[in-house]
Parts: sequence; C-alpha cells; structure tokens
Amino acid sequence: MATVTFEQATRIYPRADRPAVDTLDLAIGDGELLVLVGPSGCGKSTSLRMLAGLEEVDAGSIRIGDRDVTDSPPKDRDIAMVFQNYALYPHMTVAENMGFALRIAGVGKADIGRRVAEAARILDLEPYLARRPKALSGGQRQRVAMGRAIVRQPQVFLMDEPLSNLDAKLRVQTRTQIAALQRRLVVTTVYVTHDQVEAMTMGDRVAVLKDGVLQQCDAPGTLYDRPANTFVAGFIGSPAMNVVTGPGVDGGVRLGGAVLPVPRERLARASAGSGRITVGFRPEAVDLRAGDGVPVVVDVVEQLGSDACLYATLGAADDGDVLHTADLVVRTEPRSAPAVGEPVTLRVREDHLHVFDPVTQLRVD
Amino acid sequence: MTTLATPPEESVDAPARTVASAAPRRRRRRAGRVTAAGPLTYLLLALTTLVSVFPLYWTMVAGSHTNAEIAATPPPFLPDADLFTNIGRAMEEAPIGLAIVNSVVVAGCITVGTVLCCTLAGFAFAKLRFRGNGVLLGLVIGTMMVPTQLAIIPLFILIAELQWVDHLQAVVLPTLVSAFGVFFMRQFLTQALPDELLEAGRVDGASTWRIFWSIVVPVARPAMAVLAMLTFLTAWNDFFWPIIALTTNNPTVQVALAGLGGGYVPDRAVIMAGTLVGTLPVLVVFVVLGKQIVGGIMQGAVKG
Repeated sequence: MATVTFEQATRIYPRADRPAVDTLDLAIGDGELLVLVGPSGCGKSTSLRMLAGLEEVDAGSIRIGDRDVTDSPPKDRDIAMVFQNYALYPHMTVAENMGFALRIAGVGKADIGRRVAEAARILDLEPYLARRPKALSGGQRQRVAMGRAIVRQPQVFLMDEPLSNLDAKLRVQTRTQIAALQRRLVVTTVYVTHDQVEAMTMGDRVAVLKDGVLQQCDAPGTLYDRPANTFVAGFIGSPAMNVVTGPGVDGGVRLGGAVLPVPRERLARASAGSGRITVGFRPEAVDLRAGDGVPVVVDVVEQLGSDACLYATLGAADDGDVLHTADLVVRTEPRSAPAVGEPVTLRVREDHLHVFDPVTQLRVD
Repeated sequence: MTTLATPPEESVDAPARTVASAAPRRRRRRAGRVTAAGPLTYLLLALTTLVSVFPLYWTMVAGSHTNAEIAATPPPFLPDADLFTNIGRAMEEAPIGLAIVNSVVVAGCITVGTVLCCTLAGFAFAKLRFRGNGVLLGLVIGTMMVPTQLAIIPLFILIAELQWVDHLQAVVLPTLVSAFGVFFMRQFLTQALPDELLEAGRVDGASTWRIFWSIVVPVARPAMAVLAMLTFLTAWNDFFWPIIALTTNNPTVQVALAGLGGGYVPDRAVIMAGTLVGTLPVLVVFVVLGKQIVGGIMQGAVKG
C-alpha cells in the first residue's frame, strides 16, 4: 500500500497542439479508491498510463509512496493493471496467466500455486484454472484480469475501464464486487471510467477531467452538491443539471420573463463583470405549478416508473436567455406529471440553486 | 467453406416448391449454420486432388519401371516391382544419402535462422518504437527488388576468398534471413498482437526479451509455421546457388539429382526413383507443420 502523487504531471504527444494531460496535481491517499472520469479524450487513460509507466511524463513528476517513479520502467513501480480489453495471454491457462508476473519475479512454484489458488477462491475462478481465455465468458475473463492483478499484491491497482466490455447487468454486478474487493484488500486504486454512474458509485473520491485539465476532485456527494464549475455541474448527474445564463436583475436572474431568485451577495459576485449570471439547478430541485415562477412549455414526458422526466422549453424566451443544455429537464412525480404541450411554471428551491460566473464558469458561493 | 448446392428449404410454400424443384438447385445459406457440401463441390475437390497428386504418383510409377517401359505407348499407369532396384542404382550413381543429409542440414539451418531472425525483426518493426523504423523497413523491403542473379558473382568471389566453396555454410549463410520473411512477420504481428498484451507483459515485469519469448512467439506461431514451411521448401528446392557453390562431391539433393541418369539416353527411371527419394523429406515437413497452421490461437486474448 502507498500513496500516489501527481505533481504538475504533463504529457504532450508528438505533433499535438495541446497537452493530453496538463499540469495534473493530484494526491491519492493510502488505500483510497480514486476514480478518474471525463468524456472521451479528456486525458484520464493517459494519466493512468503515465502512472503505469506506459506513457512518458514530459514535465512534472509522479510519486508512489516516497519514491519518485517518473522515469522508472513499469516493472519497478510495484503496480498491477487491469486493461479495458483484459489483455490475457491467449496461450496460457487461467492459472498461468495469473502466475506469470510471479514467475518472472522468481517466486517459488509452491508460493505461486498458493497465491493463485487464493485469488481464484476470492474471485470464484477455481473451476476455470486449467482453461484458456478463449474458453471463458466476458465476465470470467474480466475476473481473471482482476486475479492477475490481485496475486501480485502490488502497492497500487490501476484499472482502465475494466467494465466497458460487459453487458449492462453484469457491469452493475461487477462494479459492486470490485468496490467490495478493493475495500477488503485496502490497496490504493486508481480507476478510470467514462461512466459517471460508475464513478459516483465506486469512488471514495472522484476526479473529473476535461481537455487534460483537472476540473475538480472530491467525494461523490460533494461533487454532486457543490460542482466547482459548469462542466462538472453538467457532467455529474443523470439527467444533467440545467444550466442557464440570463441577465442579472434586482433579486435574481431574469429567465423566460420571470425572475429566478438568487441570494443578493452571490448575485453581486457572479454578475460583477458582465451584468449577466449563470445559474444551475438539478432536475429534482424544481417544484412545478408553484404559481409565480419561470413559465415553460412541456415538449416530452418520459415515464420511468418511479418518476417522470419532463423536457421543456422556456415559455417566453428573453433575448438574453442562453440555455447551456438543449432543454430544461425536470424530474417529477409520475402520476402528477403535466401533459405534453401544457404550459407550467417552475420554481427552483433556493437552497438547491447553483450560481456560476458567466465568464469564468466557476462556482460562486 | 462455401457450399454449392443444398436442398430447398422446408419453409418454401407449395407453388414456390414446384418452381424450385423444376429449376436447377440454387445455393441457399442460413445465417449461423454450416451447410453440407453438394456433389459438385466433391467433384471439383476430387479433380483438384487428382491433378495435385498425379505428378507424385507418376514419379513413383516411372521410378518403378525400366527406361524402355516408360517410353512405351501407352505408358504404364500402375507401379511395378523395379522401384527399389532403381533407387539402388540412383544411390550408386550419385551420393543421394549424403545429399539428403546435406539438404536437411542446409534447409533446416536456413529455416530456423530465417524464422528466428524474421520474427525478431518483424516484432521490432511492428511493435517497438525507435527512430528510423519506417526508413529501415523501406530499405529491407527494397532489397526484394534486387534480383538474385545480380548478386551471384560478388557472392561467389566472397565465398571463394573465404575458401567456403563446396562447404555447406556457403549455401546456408547468405540466406539466413529474408526480406519477405521480415515483411510477412511484421504484417502478421501488427494485426495479430494487440499492444495491450505487450503492455500487460511490461507491467507484469517482463523485459523486452522475455516478452518476445513468452508472449510474441506463442502468438506468432501460426505465421512462423507458414514461414518455416515456405522457407524449407524454397531452401530444399533451391538449385541455382547450390550448383554454383557446391560440387557433386558434397551436394544438396537438387545438385545430386542433376547428376543422375547421365549419358546419351537419359535414364528417366533412375532420375524418377532418385527424385522420389529426394521428395519424401519435404512431404514429411508438410505433414508435420501443416498441423501447426491453425488459426484461432488469438481468440480470447482481447474482447473482439
């Protein structure tokens, strides 16, 4: 076990006009499960590969525990990695796959056998130890890849989208198992995914990246309740947060002809430069038909059983209104959901309103 | 495998069935189902096999008759009892036993050398990042455009200076690696060897050399078997350079066969008997390596 520290770590691919990972500063605690999440091309896999030693670090440094591993080859880093495609050796049996790293390290045969058997027991792989990867299902291959990492007893686990090749049901089941296993083994783990649900459910902390830049690194609850900027606000949560920019007026922001109340001191700070203000609210933080409120017209109603999602457009759009999302989304009781085409008013619960600076896109508290 | 004819489907309704039975049988396939081969397929396959096997059969027939019997009209079509007599005469006329041993040594060395060197070079060109990779590969492929004949005289002068004439190393060393083999292995490994496997090896602590032996070679085995077979056949059948570099005192099979059945009237029976003996080792190689060329070894390595 060990801590992992990225200090101003940067990776610039040859002939690229901007860094794939830009001055990343990240400290991962001992035994922590940190999830790196972000859209495609945000640099999350590159960051993981830099930590693994599979990608050069052009500037800055990476430390595992007290050791600076920036220039060390992968074999000297005491890490184990689970690849997106599993990368099992096709000509080796499950047991040989799991024991390969130990064999290279010169561990005795009896010891290898014991550790492989122990990992196989934990992962329910005992009946398959003599099989080759091609005779296993996707879920079993994924578990073998996990087993290959476990037997090493490394200081850090690295997982690069290990569930993306599984079907939806198996993915949910396996993500719970991985999280439970990690808590049981208490090994520092860096987990990469593009799926924000996976990130929120698994991580002790979640680091959100965009264009190679770290946007925010916090516990899942904090990330959801206090997003640091409009990108994190829109990326975390499903359906996404509604983010709207409008002119700041006395007492709030004018939206669709009505005024959405914003606390005075936040209003002053957010609209200081441009006189405009960006606000965000979660789909579930809205009361419908609350008398005075923002008028909208319902376009689509999605019935999900437990609740319903309304997709609506502003009823009387001002010239100054800018919707950052395609539609306003509201989550409501399925039985009392308004009909398509029905004009309704929205009222955002004040303590659930997020305020952002329209220029810097940063959160204003 | 494709099929040429299968019976009409049961699901065809009655009028359509009448039409189908009146018209010639058409090919039908069902997704995900292996259909049985029809009579036409068998006929074509049988004909192809006959055409392929006939030269070998004729070699045996001709090698088991006397020279006069072969020249008769119609020629004999069944083997006779003189095969071992003719083989014995061929062995007396030329050192065929020594030639076979020499050919096995020469073709074996060339095959092992070529497969090893070409797999190493192919791996480097396909998967290792180094400066000048593309230029070097271009140069290697470029050598394929230089005709062998062009290099024969300088090559002979070289081996003569080394006093290697009539020594087997004169035939082995110049062909220990082939540009075609390098290109062939590079193409195979580029497609068949996922980068993740190599990265998994590196994370598992393997050196590049260890990765080559433990991961690359097992994955490359089907291609290595094909390259080995092609190389062995080419080396075994090579005539042009061995007849220059060797003499009939220390020949390879092709050089020895060239010296058989000499005289005003070539003794075809002896030539054929010698050829038969010289062909057998090649057949053995085919049988042994044919089994190695099985695809599907990569199945299951990464999720497809």
